[in-house]
Amino acid sequence: MSRIVARLRSPGPILLSYLGLLVLFGLISVSSPGFADPNHVTTLLIVAAFTGIAALGQTVVIIGGGIDLSVPWTLNCAAVLLTALARGQDGPLIWIIPLILAGGVLIGVINGVGIAIFRVPPIVMTLSMNIVLQGVLFIATSGFPPPPTPESVVWLATGRLGPVPVILVIWAILTIAILFVERRTSFGRYLYAVGTNRMVATFSGVPVARTTIATYAISGAAAALAGILLDGYARQSYLGMGDPFLFTSIAAVAIGGASILGGTGSYLGTIAGALILTVLAGLLPILQLDSGYLSIIYGVVILVTVAMAAPATQRLLARVLARRTPASLLAE
Amino acid sequence: MNRILGALGRAPAWGPPLVVLVAMLVAIEVMRPGSLSMSRLQIEASEAMTLIFIAAGQTIVVLRGGIDLSVGGTLSLATAIAATRTETATFAELLPWLVVILVIGVLIGVINGALVSGLQLQPFVLTLATWSIVSGIALVILPINQSSVPPAWFEAGNATVLDLVPVPILLLLLLLGWWAWFRRTRGAFRIRAAGSDERGAFLNRVSLTRTNLAAYAMSGFFAALAGLFFASQTGSGSPVVGTQFVLPSIAAVVIGGTSLAGGRGGILGTVIGALILNQIADVIFLVGLSSYWQQVASGLILVGVVLLAPLLAVAAERTRRTMPGPA
Amino acid sequence: MDDAPQLQAEAITKRFGGIVALDQMHFAAAAGEVHAILGENGAGKSTFIGILAGAVRADEGRVTVGGRPYLPLSPVDAAAAGIATVLQELSLIPDLTVAENVWFGSEDLTPLRTVDRRRIEARTRALFSDLGLPGIDPGTPLRSLSLGQRQLVEIAKALSSNARILILDEATSALLPAQVDWLLRTARARADAGALVLYISHRLAEVRRIADRVTVLRNGQTVGTEAMADLADGEIVSMMLGRRLVSLYPARVATATDRIALQVDAFTVAPRLHDVDFALHEGEILGVAGLEGHGQREMFLGLFGAIRAHGQVSIGGRPVTIRSPRHAMSAGIGMVLLPEDRRQQGLLLTKTVRENLVLSALGKVARFGVIDPRAEAAMVERGMQRTQVKADTPEQLAGTLSGGNQQKVVLAKLLETGARILLFYDPTRGVDVGTKAEMFTMMRDLAANGYAILFYSTDLAELANVADRTLVLSYGSVSSVLAGADVTEDRILAATMAGGARGAVVPAGSIA
Repeated sequence: MSRIVARLRSPGPILLSYLGLLVLFGLISVSSPGFADPNHVTTLLIVAAFTGIAALGQTVVIIGGGIDLSVPWTLNCAAVLLTALARGQDGPLIWIIPLILAGGVLIGVINGVGIAIFRVPPIVMTLSMNIVLQGVLFIATSGFPPPPTPESVVWLATGRLGPVPVILVIWAILTIAILFVERRTSFGRYLYAVGTNRMVATFSGVPVARTTIATYAISGAAAALAGILLDGYARQSYLGMGDPFLFTSIAAVAIGGASILGGTGSYLGTIAGALILTVLAGLLPILQLDSGYLSIIYGVVILVTVAMAAPATQRLLARVLARRTPASLLAE
Repeated sequence: MNRILGALGRAPAWGPPLVVLVAMLVAIEVMRPGSLSMSRLQIEASEAMTLIFIAAGQTIVVLRGGIDLSVGGTLSLATAIAATRTETATFAELLPWLVVILVIGVLIGVINGALVSGLQLQPFVLTLATWSIVSGIALVILPINQSSVPPAWFEAGNATVLDLVPVPILLLLLLLGWWAWFRRTRGAFRIRAAGSDERGAFLNRVSLTRTNLAAYAMSGFFAALAGLFFASQTGSGSPVVGTQFVLPSIAAVVIGGTSLAGGRGGILGTVIGALILNQIADVIFLVGLSSYWQQVASGLILVGVVLLAPLLAVAAERTRRTMPGPA
Repeated sequence: MDDAPQLQAEAITKRFGGIVALDQMHFAAAAGEVHAILGENGAGKSTFIGILAGAVRADEGRVTVGGRPYLPLSPVDAAAAGIATVLQELSLIPDLTVAENVWFGSEDLTPLRTVDRRRIEARTRALFSDLGLPGIDPGTPLRSLSLGQRQLVEIAKALSSNARILILDEATSALLPAQVDWLLRTARARADAGALVLYISHRLAEVRRIADRVTVLRNGQTVGTEAMADLADGEIVSMMLGRRLVSLYPARVATATDRIALQVDAFTVAPRLHDVDFALHEGEILGVAGLEGHGQREMFLGLFGAIRAHGQVSIGGRPVTIRSPRHAMSAGIGMVLLPEDRRQQGLLLTKTVRENLVLSALGKVARFGVIDPRAEAAMVERGMQRTQVKADTPEQLAGTLSGGNQQKVVLAKLLETGARILLFYDPTRGVDVGTKAEMFTMMRDLAANGYAILFYSTDLAELANVADRTLVLSYGSVSSVLAGADVTEDRILAATMAGGARGAVVPAGSIA
């Protein structure tokens, strides 16, 4: 109980992000009534799901203190591999999809091993992986267009279970799973510990290497899943389909209130971030703006969010509201 | 073996990359005799100059302990502004715009530095945001994918000074010359100190804010310069062209031996790193592999360098310990 | 000696969040004297020095230097006022060379306005030579030097500026005895030449040799200022502690058994620790003493598996090779370390007491990886009870606790793993007196219950009163084993010197 009360008394960045989302949505709907139409909202949610799923892995990695720059081409490899192996057939999917997800995990494990055991900085390791995967994919496809996506996969991305889009069901299940892991599992505790202070985690007996590798494995799997689903949505795979997700996955996490340094944040915030990014993108056609303005707006939103959460601003706010702040980190 | 590694470890940070570059050039010469001619080297240098410039600025920010993702946006913005000048302008008429563009680059950098210091924001996320904003501005200024710059510009970029030195080579020499001087100034020491140990630097009366402002301002300047160079070399401007240089700029910095943690490294290494990245395409082609292998090779080299660095450092440490300093 | 105060501070108050570091503290010292500032960790010494050095700004109070008000906004102002400091935590830049560090900010410039490397290196050699220091190659990057060498460089840097006020804060922590002698001589010479030297140290013997007057701080307040010659050690200590020495420690009870919990043979951690042998029994509190930098840190970290070690280690008679802290804490071994730096190694400051407390023993409150909130709450309650953690609720952030309570949380966390071998590394550093007494009682109780405790402290009185036996480490090996109350400063120094004379490997950077 005290936990809930404590959280209400000091609204964290996540709550603020959702408030921002609501305000944004409200403002847009007022000036443009069609925006709040249930069909449109559903479309927005579906589009947001792709960012959300790709950002799921990024969230876990960032909370753990790292970053994953290999999301774009992991996604792309998974997408192309799916269409290439399946050749439009639904049958083989039963082994193809698990294989591809396993591939995503493998990529993540390689990233994780490089980072946790060989101490390669995450930026360098995942960047290299991204570059290598791009090259590998180029070589493998050698310019040949892959076959179209099998119908089952298309259904996953665009179909419905009753009134609810399948992809939203998938997203919901993943969300519940990740939130459960964050809050109620040992792995979740280890994750936050490693992201807060690696040395303290080590000295406390936390399996740091294993935890770190697991975060990148999750990210690889999430990116692969996003690739598969994107295949379904676009009905085909093509080179470059993963590129936008580098920015959006990181932006969603940042807007969701997680610190890029790790140790704080939650996938719940990332969802808000993904939704905000998608809603803002929905503004474009309404205001008939060039895509350049969207880019500017994205940047400003990230800036404002991060500035709000910054320690300097927090200290100022705390002093103003006379709340207790963690003791300054000066030596005793 | 330890001795060799130790010697390598004590070498300046750009030592190993230089060895790699020379090896690559030798390999190219062997596979395609006559490659190491002046004209070929000129072409290589020109191709690499855009990356070299943008990575040079990145180097300084990294030395300060930060990172600058917005350089892509600044580069795009520079080409976009260049492309939207009047077709018939002469070089003299374009000159003020050159200054304006460079000033804009500096301004973007100053804003980056001010936000990093003033609000204590993490450079990665901050420059991600400003990258987005600046790219957006570039798109607004130049909404189409590509447009040509005034011909006078293009001519200037491809000219030869005194009929001897092509502009790109001249610029490269100027850059290296400037760096040879700048790295020994107090300002550079302060930037490196702040990157190496912020607390120590603060106690040594280094202004953490001013070093940030300077480092990011320089990065913005070089990104704008890279954009101008690109526009003059290709004769075109594009609002999205900068994106492809951001991650390679970091790669060039890392391959060149500068530490992402700050305090150690320099532009000489970065230049070598950029040249290595550019040469990979050649090597791949000559070895007979599909050109797509250059991606794979780039990625592997990047990881390889970073894996190698601590090994060399440890070996250097070990050999150093058994050799006491002179009394 | 000048009579007018060179440095005067009045009603200095400084708060960090909820902690009051300095409370209406006052201070006065004259030019030409060596003035020592004593006090336990947490008494406020470092904060006061931070204010003088311009690194920390006081919330209230006035400082005057040479009669003029002194309000430094940054270290720049400190330098301008003629104040040079050697801080406990060195302020050197690892990626710059020795010369670049020493002359940082005042480098000679060439006509091109670049730093003249040859000249600053020459100046460095000259400086070292004038000071009587060994030649360290001025072109060496600082990160290649040992801690002791770095400390010498930092001292040389402070001495190079001929400051009016020279502050030495634990400046001898990593120095060898000959180097300490040199520093004391040099500081004395500076004072005789008219400077004011502020000397902060835990080492009473050093303080006694050099100080003219002493100011004792306790709990952020000034207890008193006396001439060095007028104060006996006992009086100083009681001023520092605020109560008599004896009541701090529990009665000595023989709890050691014959059963060996931890047996160590030929234990080596390069480069500082060699061939250490000892046996730690169940129920025993085995102390470790020695000058800083003689291998204690390596021994504890090596045993815990945090750094690589060689040699034979047996737990309960069984030989083991400890691969990592996680391995050390596992059920088969059961050895935990209470680390040196609780803020950087012990606790997640931005997480709650609850999250910290259960972190090492999550396996016990989780089934198949899922945490049971009730089991967790039970562990938290038990843990906080066991070590008497005083916090409003378990949801309080660990960073807001006092030093003593933070240490208790770390201890509780470690005990929850069920480990029976406890490695305590300087557990009472920065801990208030009340908590110290509680910890000593806890240690004795744990021993009485069969725990085996290895206990390193920089405070010899603690070792004398709490440990059953004490190993003296000098130059990386055990030079002698002292029984109980035989642990005095003289015996430690004698044992250390004996170790040196036996020709043990000398750590880098020694004088002479």
